[in-house]
Amino acid sequence: MPPRIHSSSCCQSRQLLNYLEAAPPISISASPLALQRLAATSTSSSSQLQCSRSFSTTPVTEARQPTRQRREFLKWINDYKEKFRTQPNNGKTNYISQLVTVSDYQDVYEDQPFPNNPNFRSEPVLSSKARHMIWKDVMREGLPLKAVSAKYQVDMRRVAAVVRMKQIEHYMYKKKMPLARTYHDVIMSMLPRAYLTPGEKPFEPINDIHVHSYTMQQLFVPTAESREFTRADAAKAFGEHILPPDEKMRIPELVEMERNIASGMEPEKAYAIFKETAAQSERAFAEAQKAKAKHQADKTLRVDNGRFEFRFEKVNADDVGRNGRSRTAVGWRYGQPFTDRRRGEVKIPTKVE
Amino acid sequence: MVVKIRLARFGRTNAPFYNIVVAHARTARNSRPLEVLGTYDPIPKRDTYDRSGKLHKDIKLDITRAKYWIGVGAQPTDTVRRLLSLVGIMEPKYRPAAPAPAAAAKEPVKK
Repeated sequence: MPPRIHSSSCCQSRQLLNYLEAAPPISISASPLALQRLAATSTSSSSQLQCSRSFSTTPVTEARQPTRQRREFLKWINDYKEKFRTQPNNGKTNYISQLVTVSDYQDVYEDQPFPNNPNFRSEPVLSSKARHMIWKDVMREGLPLKAVSAKYQVDMRRVAAVVRMKQIEHYMYKKKMPLARTYHDVIMSMLPRAYLTPGEKPFEPINDIHVHSYTMQQLFVPTAESREFTRADAAKAFGEHILPPDEKMRIPELVEMERNIASGMEPEKAYAIFKETAAQSERAFAEAQKAKAKHQADKTLRVDNGRFEFRFEKVNADDVGRNGRSRTAVGWRYGQPFTDRRRGEVKIPTKVE
Repeated sequence: MVVKIRLARFGRTNAPFYNIVVAHARTARNSRPLEVLGTYDPIPKRDTYDRSGKLHKDIKLDITRAKYWIGVGAQPTDTVRRLLSLVGIMEPKYRPAAPAPAAAAKEPVKK
């Protein structure tokens, strides 16, 4: 509960009322300091002098003086307001870090929107032109995603995401749904952008591989001097299920293309082979997905009773394992504690379907 | 002793989930059954990207084993019978206004 003004101390409350009356445009929630300053500026001081005790003991002339920091801030903002009011140049940003070059901790880079937060770096985003180029290559030219990814040095997942978003945009445009164009333009004008032009630096690494924690340990594996010890052997030494880096590549066809070129093949021919094999691998992936969906559909029997659709999935009740407690057995398991009661079990969903 | 096909309730409070089990009639509901035939999730769900609002229920069932147990005289409870009649293993006990498509494919019930 806030401190209350007792009705007995009438002079204080009257004074407060006087202040409030003197400040019609300011709401009741104005800070006491503002009220005080208002009181200081108002000329009708005769009513205030009726009271012997005032709220504040600070002399009125001192209180009206703005602080040094505020004065400096106002000066600074007057000097640079035009600079920040104008639109930044093409692809550039107007972050404050172009003025603040040294923060409390260390040097400030130009892509740091907050000078005191060195971890927040504003990376370039794909410009709308770049996104259109990617979409055109995939949907109009029919290039495989891997080839587009290699062409522009954009991650395959990002390429796929751009195409999906573009498709949605086209759909919304066709259906005459409202598009947030102004919002898009304003945000894009404030962010650093990548145009994917030939001379530009690569947008992002595209063939990074995941480093399994098993492979981070130091191992001593005795092997014969005469024996060839390859990356595949090294992977096997770390664990049976560890894949060699060549198999973990996102775009292994790119490595194959470079090998072909190194062995004397013409680059155009090697590129054609790359495109063909990339398309082939994507087709195989799509076929596998389709087959998986079909297998699932074949396993399910759908019966609609009007209110609900009952989906009967055919299972094998004999898949219960040696002691009847197999993890793959159908239904909740008997004689086993529930996994969701286990310590450290993460229940936060990790994906959205 | 009578062998029944019935539901055993698992899941949590306000989140029921059933095993469809074959068990002796006089054993406890959640005791270890003779066989688990499948599961029944009674909570209706909707497909993620489906905008029609149509709801579905997920059931897992070993149809072959269910037929076998019915064939040797196991008695399904009303709820299980309703589910089995949906896939045409049994005649429904209570005839709905329009017969279910799987049941309709078989010959009509004699009156």
